[in-house]
Formats: sequence, C-alpha cells, structure tokens
Amino acid sequence: MSPLHELLLRHTRRYFLERCALGLAGMFLAEARGAQAPQNPLAPKPPHFAPKAKSVIYLHMAGSPSQLELFDFKPELIKYNGKECPQHLLEGKRFAFIKGVPQMMGTPYQFAPRGQAGSYVSELLPQFSQVVDDVAIIRSMTTDQFNHAPAQLFLHTGSPRFGAASMGAWATYGLGSENQDLPGYVVLVGGGNNPDAGKSLWGSGFLPSVFQGVQCRTQGDPVLYLSDPEGMTRTLRRDTLDALRDLNELQQQEAGDPETAARVAQYELAYRMQVSVPEVMDISKEPDNVHTMYGTEPGKQSFANNCLLARRLVEKGVRFVQLFQWGWDHHGSSRREDIRYDLPNKARMIDRPMAALIRDLKQRGLLDQTLVIWGGEFGRTPMRENRGGSYGQFVGRDHHPYAFTIWMAGGGVKPGLNYGATDEIGYYVVDKKVTPRDIQATVLHLLGLDPYRLSYLYQGLNQRLIGPTDEGRVLQDLLA
Amino acid sequence: MRLWTLLPGLALCLPPPAALAVDYQRDIRPLLAKRCLACHGPDEHSRQANFRLDTRDGALGKTGGHAGIVPGDSARSRVIVRAQDPRRPMPPAGPRLTADEIDLLKKWIDAGAPYEKHWAFVKPTRPAPPAVRDARWPRNEIDRFVLARLEQEGLTPSPEADRHTLARRAALDLTGLPPEPGVLKAFLDDQSPKAYERLVDRLLASPAYGERWARVWLDLARYADTQGYEKDNRRTIWPYRDWVIRALNDNVPFDRFTILQLAGDLLPNPSEADLVATGFHRNTMTNTEGGTDDEEFRDAAVKDRVAVTGQVWMGLTVGCAQCHTHKYDPISHREFYQLYAFFNQTEDNDKPDDSPTLKLGETTTLVMRELPADKQRRTRIHERGNFLNPGAEVAPAVLSAFHQSPADAPRNRLGLARWLVSKENPLTARVTVNRLWARLFGTGLVESEEDFGTQGNLPSHPELLDWLATEFMRTDWDMKSILKTMAMSATYRQSSAVTPALLEKDPRNRLLARGARFRLDAEVVRDQALAASGLLSRKLYGPPVMPWQPEGIWMVVYNGESWITSDGEDRYRRGLYTFLRRTSPYPSMITYDAPTGELCTIRRIRTNTPLQALASLNDPVSMEAAQHLALRALREAGPEDTARATRLFELLLVRPPGAAELDRILKLHRKAAAELHGRAAEQFKLLHYDQIIYPRDREVVLVDDARGVPPEWRYTVNDPGEGWQSAHYDARSWNTGRGQFGWHPKMPAEWKVATNWESEFLWMRLAFDAAQPLEDLKFLVRTAGAFEAFLNGVPAAASLLDRNGYYEYRVSPEGAAALKPGRNVLAVKASRIREKENGGQLMDLSLRGVLPLQPGAPTAEQASRAAWVVVANTLLNLDEALTRR
Repeated sequence: MSPLHELLLRHTRRYFLERCALGLAGMFLAEARGAQAPQNPLAPKPPHFAPKAKSVIYLHMAGSPSQLELFDFKPELIKYNGKECPQHLLEGKRFAFIKGVPQMMGTPYQFAPRGQAGSYVSELLPQFSQVVDDVAIIRSMTTDQFNHAPAQLFLHTGSPRFGAASMGAWATYGLGSENQDLPGYVVLVGGGNNPDAGKSLWGSGFLPSVFQGVQCRTQGDPVLYLSDPEGMTRTLRRDTLDALRDLNELQQQEAGDPETAARVAQYELAYRMQVSVPEVMDISKEPDNVHTMYGTEPGKQSFANNCLLARRLVEKGVRFVQLFQWGWDHHGSSRREDIRYDLPNKARMIDRPMAALIRDLKQRGLLDQTLVIWGGEFGRTPMRENRGGSYGQFVGRDHHPYAFTIWMAGGGVKPGLNYGATDEIGYYVVDKKVTPRDIQATVLHLLGLDPYRLSYLYQGLNQRLIGPTDEGRVLQDLLA
Repeated sequence: MRLWTLLPGLALCLPPPAALAVDYQRDIRPLLAKRCLACHGPDEHSRQANFRLDTRDGALGKTGGHAGIVPGDSARSRVIVRAQDPRRPMPPAGPRLTADEIDLLKKWIDAGAPYEKHWAFVKPTRPAPPAVRDARWPRNEIDRFVLARLEQEGLTPSPEADRHTLARRAALDLTGLPPEPGVLKAFLDDQSPKAYERLVDRLLASPAYGERWARVWLDLARYADTQGYEKDNRRTIWPYRDWVIRALNDNVPFDRFTILQLAGDLLPNPSEADLVATGFHRNTMTNTEGGTDDEEFRDAAVKDRVAVTGQVWMGLTVGCAQCHTHKYDPISHREFYQLYAFFNQTEDNDKPDDSPTLKLGETTTLVMRELPADKQRRTRIHERGNFLNPGAEVAPAVLSAFHQSPADAPRNRLGLARWLVSKENPLTARVTVNRLWARLFGTGLVESEEDFGTQGNLPSHPELLDWLATEFMRTDWDMKSILKTMAMSATYRQSSAVTPALLEKDPRNRLLARGARFRLDAEVVRDQALAASGLLSRKLYGPPVMPWQPEGIWMVVYNGESWITSDGEDRYRRGLYTFLRRTSPYPSMITYDAPTGELCTIRRIRTNTPLQALASLNDPVSMEAAQHLALRALREAGPEDTARATRLFELLLVRPPGAAELDRILKLHRKAAAELHGRAAEQFKLLHYDQIIYPRDREVVLVDDARGVPPEWRYTVNDPGEGWQSAHYDARSWNTGRGQFGWHPKMPAEWKVATNWESEFLWMRLAFDAAQPLEDLKFLVRTAGAFEAFLNGVPAAASLLDRNGYYEYRVSPEGAAALKPGRNVLAVKASRIREKENGGQLMDLSLRGVLPLQPGAPTAEQASRAAWVVVANTLLNLDEALTRR
C-alpha cells in the first residue's frame, strides 16, 4: 500500500470518527471496507486513563437474596417481630405481592462481627466471613425498580427497558479484549434458569453485536455450535478450513473485496476457539486443593464450578465475566421460597465458592486487577410477605427497592470496608446512598473508562451506560 | 442544494478543498449541530446565555452584550471572537475549534450568514436528470444521476455483471432466495434484450417477494411471537405478519399500506384484514409480571408507538423529545405529547390477555381499537418524560415545522396517517425509497437510514434521492414499480468486482462505480442453504414454527413452554416463520445480526464474528442442509466426480465453478474420502445426519401421557409403606385411574384432570412392555410438585421443581439398565410442594425412548458419498455463498 493510500485511509477513517458526526463509528469499524482488512473491533484499545482493574467478575444472584438474613444486621427489627408494619412505611409504596398491612419480621439467624474490620455477616456465610477483610460491603444500595426484569436491566444496562447495552458490552466496546482466542465478554448462567430479563442482560443493545456477551455453558457445547458436527473428524474440519481459505482466496482475487480476508480470519479464530474454549472450560485438570477450596466437581453444573471458571477466564485475559445464579426470590409462597428452609441451602451453595474465588485470585496476584462484585437486583422487605393478604405456613420477604446490600472486592476497591448504612429496621438507607448508576460509573472508572465520556450515538442521542443525566457518581470513598 | 453537483468525489468523507464556496448544509449546519447546539439550540431548558444558533434570528441576537453574528462582518461577530478567545474559548468543553473550522465560519458569516432550512425538511422537487458524456451507458434516470457524478470524478462505471451473477443478485434482493433452477434456466436461455426484465418481473410476481420484503418491514414493526419483558409469554400476532406478506404481494400502494397499519380500525366499515393490519403498533411489549403498574407499561407502549412512527415514516428521532425538546431537530417537548395524544386513545392497556383482540376462525389476534368518545383519555405533557409527573394538557397535533393537515382532517390516528403520506410531506417518500435502495445496494443514499434530521448524514446523491422520492409519489406509491426501476438500472447491474485503484479512491462505494457486495441477512443465510439442498418448504403463512435449535436455549422463568421441534416441512420453512421469543431468540439468527423484536430496527448492522463461522460450520441445521445438498448433487449429476462437484457448486452458488475452483474441490473430496476410509460410524453419520438430529422420528412411547392415550394406572393416596416401588409389589388393592392426576381450587379446563388427587402424596404403579432395546430414555413430566420415579424398583428420575409444562427428565443410567425386554414396572411417587390453596397440584408423565441407529459396514462408495457432505459443508461456508455480490 502506498504511503498516500495509507494517509488517505487514515484521514478518511479519522474524518468519519471525528468530523462527520456520524456516530456509528463502531459500525464503521465493524463494516469498514478499506483496502486493508477491516480493523478488529475487539482488538485491545487504550483506556481513557490508567485503570485499577483489568477484568470484572460480576456474581449476580437473580431473584435478589435477603440482605437482612445475610449482611444487614438489624437487632431492632427482631424486637418488632410480628408487629404490624406502621402505616407511614406503606403509604405511597408499591409492592409486588404484599397486600394490606404486613407484619414486621426480624431475622432468625445469628450475626457477629467478622475479621479485623468487624464487618457484620450472618452465620449463613461462615467461609465468606473469613475473607471480609478483602471485601467492601455496601449496605446502602437502592434502586427505583421493584420487579425483577426491569431492576436487573436497570442495574446491568442502565435502562429498565429492553434495548440498551449491558455493562460487559460497554467494557468490551471501550477496551476490546486481551485474548483474541476467547470471547471478551463471557456469561455463565447457573441455577437451572435464565435470569428474569433473559439474554438482554448481556446483550449489546444498540452497540454492534460483536460486543454482546457470549454465553458459555457448562453442559453441552460450552459455546453454541463449538463442537464439530457428528461425523466430522478434526482432520476433516482442518481440511475444510484449508479448502475454504484457498477457495476464498480465489474469490478475493476475482472480486477484490477485503471483507473476504476478514472472513477467513474469523474462520481461523473460530477454529482456534474450538480448542481454546473447551480448554479453559475444562476444570478437571485443576489440582485437588483448588477443587477442595471451591467445592468444585468437574462435569457438574454448579455455582462453584462457575466461580472457578470465572477465575480461569480472567486469568486468560477475558475482560468481563458475568455470572447469573437463579433462585433467590424468597417470597415464602412455598418451601423452596422459604427463608428458613431454602435460603440456608442457597447460602451454603455460594459461601465456599465465593470465598474461594477471592482467596484464589489473591493467591495468584490477580485480585488487585480483578474487580469482583456480588449482589442482587434489589433487596427484600423488613416485613414478612402476606401474599393475598394472609399468612400461610411458609416464610419470606417481598421485593424491596429502598435498601439492599452488595459487596465488591479487588480491582481498586478499598478492602475491609463497611460502606453506608440503613435505618434501625433496614427499611431506608440513611448513610451514603448508592444507586445502580453509581455502581456503573464506578465500574467503568475502575476499568480506566470515563463513564461520562464513554458513549455511542444512537437514535440521535449520545447513549451512555450511566444514562442521559450525570447523576451517576464514581464512589471515590470506596476506592483504594 | 445547487452546489451539490459540484462536490468533489469524496466530499462526504473528506473536507472540501478550501477553494470551494462555503455551503451551509454541508459545512456549517453539521459544525453548529455538533459543537454548539447542545447549549445554544432549540431546547430552551438547556439553552445557555439565552442565545441560540439554530435560527438566524437567534444568531443575530445579543450574547454578552454583543451580536452573536454580524452578517458580512466576522471580525465583529461574538461567535468568532469567543471561538478564538484563548482564555475562555467556545465551545467550553471538548477540543478547540480547528483553524479550518473557524475559517469556514468566518467565510460563511462574511458571505452574509445565510441560513437554509435543513435539506430534508424541504419538500423534494423533481430534478431533471443531468446531462452525461457517455449517453450509451444509462438505462434509466437513476444512471444519469450516478454517471454524471462519476464523470466529474473521472471514473467510469464497472461492466455489467455476468448473467449468473445477475440472476442470483436479483433473486436474493427481490425474493430473499436464490433463483429456482427453472427460473435461472429460462433466463440463461432467453436471448432477447428483454430477458433480464422478464426475470425481474417474474421475481417481483413471486410469492417469495412478499416474504422477503415482509421481513424487512417486520424489523421496523418490532414483530415477535411473545409479549416481552420478564414472562415473555406467547402471543398470537402472526396474522399481522401474514397480512404484511399479502399486502406486499398485492402491491398495496405505500400510502394505503401506511393508513391501514396506523389506522385501519378508524376507516369506515373496516374489513377483518384492515383490523389485522393495525397489529403494526400492537407489537409493543406487554408486561405481565406481578405487581406491575399497567399504566406505566401502557405509557411505555404509547411512547414507543410515537417514536417508531416518527422513525419509520419520517426518519426523525422523535423519541428524543419525550424528556425534553429535541436538541437538534424542530420537535419540542410539547409536540412529542401532541403526537402522543394521537396514540393515547386506544383500548389496549398492558393487560395479560393483550386485549383488544379479534377472532379469526380458530385464531385470536391483537388489533387496535379506539376508545369511545366518552371514555377518551386526556393527554398531558410528562415532565422529564415521567408519566407520574404530568404537566400541561395537550391536544393531538402534527409537528409545526412541517406541512399542516387540512382543517377538516380527523384529529386521530387516521388524520396522522394521512398527514404522513401526504404528498406535501418532505420526508416519507425520501425515507421510504432510501430504505428500499439500501436493501438493494447495501447502503442507503442517506447512510443514516434512521435519521434524516440535522444529525443524520447528507445524501451521497441528493438529486437522485429526490428523483426517486418524487417518482415514488408520481406512481402513487407503487413499491414494486420503484424497486423495478432500481433493479433495471445499469447502476444496479454493475459487476461488484473492484480494482485496487477504485478501492483506493472510493473504499466504501459511495459513488456507485461498482455493484454492491455485502453479507446476506440472517434469514437469507438459512433460506439459501435450505433452498439449495432442496429442503426448503414453500408453504406460505400460518403460525410460527420451531425448526431444530440446540437444547437449553429456552430456559425461561415462570413459563411452562418449551421448544418442541416442528414436524415435517415445518422444520424447513423460511426464516421469517421461525418462532421469535424476544428474551430467547433463535440463536443462529441472532448470531447473524437479526433483531430480537424488542426494538424497532431500522437497519441491521452487519458484523463479522467467529461465532458466525461456528454457526455456519457446525449448526446442525446447516449440516443437515449440507447432507441434503450433497445427496441432491449426487442424485442429479450421475457417478462422475467432476460432474458431481460442478452440480454441487452450481446448486449453491448459481454459477459453474472455475477450473482452479473445481480442482480444489476435487482435492478436498479426495482428502475427505481418504480420511473417511474404513470409518463406518462417520460415514453413516454424515450421510444420515438428519436421523441424528431428529431422534423423535425414531421415538418409541413406552408409557403415554394424557396428551396421547394415557394408560390406566394403579394409584393410592395412603402411604403403602416399604417396598411399594419394587417390581414384585402387589398393588391390586390400589385404585385405578388415568392421567392427569390433580386438583385445583378453580380447576382450569386446560388442566384436563381425569383423576382427582388433592392429598399431599400420590403413589402410582404401572406394568408395561418393552419390545426392543432403546436409547435416550426419558420421562416427560408435568407436575406442580415434586416426583420420584422407579423402573423395576431402581431410582430412575426425580425432581423438586414445580413447573407448568411437560419437562424432560433423562432416565438415570441405573434406571435405564434396569429396563429389560418384556414386562417392566414403573412406580412413581408425587408430592405437592406448594400450599394446597396456592395454585393447585398436578401429575402426569410419559416414558419414551429412541431406537438406536445401526450403521452398516464401511465401503469405499460410502466414504466417497460422505466426503461430498464434507464438501457441501465447506461450500456453504464460502465467503461467496454468504455474500450477495
């Protein structure tokens, strides 16, 4: 390519990006038809400023675990046990299922201060209690959505409606991927069901679809269509790709379209992924002590396996790993939604693996550059749910958007921190209120992206993860 | 506008040479829009210093005590002073204006600072096609506009594509399918100068035309087969999809097509079909999650209808004005709600049953219905877009920056629809022909199909766009006619091959000196593979179908529905009939950039990813097509390898292979046949791939459930004690009854309970015969509770989940091993886990297995035949096969 040609191309591209006000710059890159092969939209891109975190692991407990049973200790609430909820807490409020006047309900579980930090954590999480000094617990989360799907969408895409881009898509759009043999944004789903809002939670929305999360499954093909079809041996697949390359080259000589070369490159990447993805998804070769630490069993579908996979993925340079674990909607309408019968099982299921994830990342020196986040989409009421206006034999809590708990660890977050507080019965946040927008701004900031600047022009608006207003704040006092 | 014809070649991509006069549309408006109008534009809430630059009056006004712009005197214009102010430069954020940009502004001000109305807001007038030097090349007016521009650039058009390429191109573009062999042959054999026109006419008359363009329209209609949001339940709106196909095939004029969809219910004596057409805006989502505020989601649907209407017909980002006045285009916050008022009077209100509906024989579908006059809603502005924060009341009105409706026009959706398709409307015809152009040429004349406002792109060929728009209206909105005009042009017929020199000069083909080359749409990738292999069903219309998809895609919460692969030809219907669940769309379609139906998609953004490669290489649907493509070529070509290779290639790529291509294919075949030598299993699998992926075709029902012929069980509700599940237990004292077992306080009819069961536990036993060995044994269980199942006393399956539909539970290996030829005993214990009053209890199940496949001995002939399947799989992945060229 002549120097003039190169200059022209660069000029053209720069003009498109900077001057034409086209906005669809990402699309231009994905579709560019310069004389060179189009730029790979997933190639690593420089951040806006030096990042604290290279990768994110987000553990989302779909359905929303009860903060009052796990992290937010409210001895005063226990005193009100069985008393009617005061009117002023109900006026003007909408609940998913509570009708009339419900009763207040304290937790049946014991809490104690843990670690150097003295963070209060429930007896249901004994392993996690041992790593609290590496964790910042945020007890002052709020949201403005009280149903699962909108609240999940709001948290992960910045909009309670379908169609916006997810946090992981924004991260890969802004930063690209470090490992070109693996997807930059991987999603692991556990608990037998997709989260309520479905695949939109890891969709690319208005961003080009290359940035959407790739769901890696722990049963069947880890990535859809990854295995060769039955009857197609590995040798045959290689023969196929060799012939494809040769035939495509003949076509390119004829037609001269650089897109043909780009396609050949994608087929070769697909071929490499057929090896690299199963390799990274195969935990059977991890040593015994790792399996003991996490409680993993190769070949099973479990939260523990997904936590170990998350560590393996970030170790290989995957930018964003999103876990969804279903089954935390403890309304108390059946045994499996009962905070006495089911919640301890769910807590046991996550306790060891999430503690192990923090320990394991720390041992490997990865915790400093990996941001781990845990939480649900909202909280649960300090009142006992009375679905249909009366109480049955099971016990649970309704959706509560006014206060809940999440935690963060590593990746530039202050360790051993207890952040924010709720009132004496855990109904409202009284100190350091945090919104999903703040979380989004903070996550992007830790990744080295300016949450106010990271945008994409769509439907005439500069779309951003943090939404159209500048309400979202980087939580400076949370940062190490 | 007049300057456009003088623009240099890459004017859209490169700054104009300094010598050229400044043009407001091209140079100034985009600059102001990008750097100034966010704070000094139409939105008064965000306007700073009470100074606006979007109107000339505003710009001549004072800012900081000085005139913002003094026409003819840039040095005294505050705008220039501030732009050059080193201490407090304007704009205050972002990079400084460059010297070039300031220079442009100065020249424009010195020339008198002329403002012009944004080009797209001025009604198009029919331009005379320009004179061209080469009078032989143009075939119609389109070509004269294109050629005049090429001649200015010193470029010549590319030669016409060969006939094979033309046939495939026209067929893919107009019908979404490769040409049928008969159509292709007729075209190739037709030596008359009219041959190509006859081909185009034939394609436009094909029913496949309506399917292809319906898919384009359904992207805009955000069509899907479910309600969206969390539950995402099924909804029946496919009659609307069928209406679109029929309307397009009948070539309903676009103005009527519009009026029927936006206001068919408001026409005098609307027919059933007119009502079905109103399904366009019933494709908004419905939220049935517990505790949702119906008004919140009704409001969301109405806002979506306003935004989609503005976007689809006028290319305006009207939705921007729902929270505040549009920052760039003349759409005020108030006007958004005046448009909202048109859509605010329909009966639907986010109810789970999606009412109002229309009964069409067996089917009930969604339609629009206007509220009676006495029940009509008042419309108020929503402050900051929040429906809980109502402001001043407004009445329906069209946008004031455009032509107005006649005084006697009805102030409802019908009036609005007529306003949209009025020949006074400057945008509707332009936006529509641009969309059709983009589907045929890969990119619109206005690349930003979704935005014709001031933030959108300028057209590459403005006069051509206006000619097409006026031609479209002149022919009374005849869609087939305007498409034919495009397809008949010499511009369209050019070869897409590109030389390095042309690629350097115009990498993105904005000048149209060559034919377009772009990747096929998701549905076309599928349909083409099915058509080439002979599998494609040409059945039109009807309920959505479920072709093969990987297991585990539909993990949908609170929804008992599962993906059950269709039977017979419904497995091979065109992509637009595939069931589209918004939260769980068909995976290979999404991989190839098809939309989910959650949003209106004006244009699909094509990506090129490794996941696409994996899908086309390995998706069993693609592999099944490879199997049948190979078998078809073998059938049609006889025993000779060269003939077989040629036939296979032709069936897919609609052209004979070149010598080098043929060599390479034969080499692949030889290598593959050698690799498959002696491999009985692989040979068998490749040649019988469909039998592998449709095990249901080999299914044997050992114990049937209530959907079929349920057997008579022995059952008891009293604890039978130890050993009840063993093969030899004597259950003769138990009761007898058939499925379904269950109880519900209100007993819904669809439960079809045959035997009452309302206690906590249920024990069931059944003896059945198994004739031959089976594999993949599974239970299909419908239960609102938990169950355990035993085969001959051995634990075979269990679950604690309560689910509404029939779910699959694989029989455990121990359970499968316990099954023996002859007589067997199935024992099941069911328990409800909900409270009795809370939704009832249910038990029904069947036990099924699959006859194993039995590969024969390997042979050289089979190895060769199977190797052709490998070849077919390869060719289906060729760049050329995935590309319209």
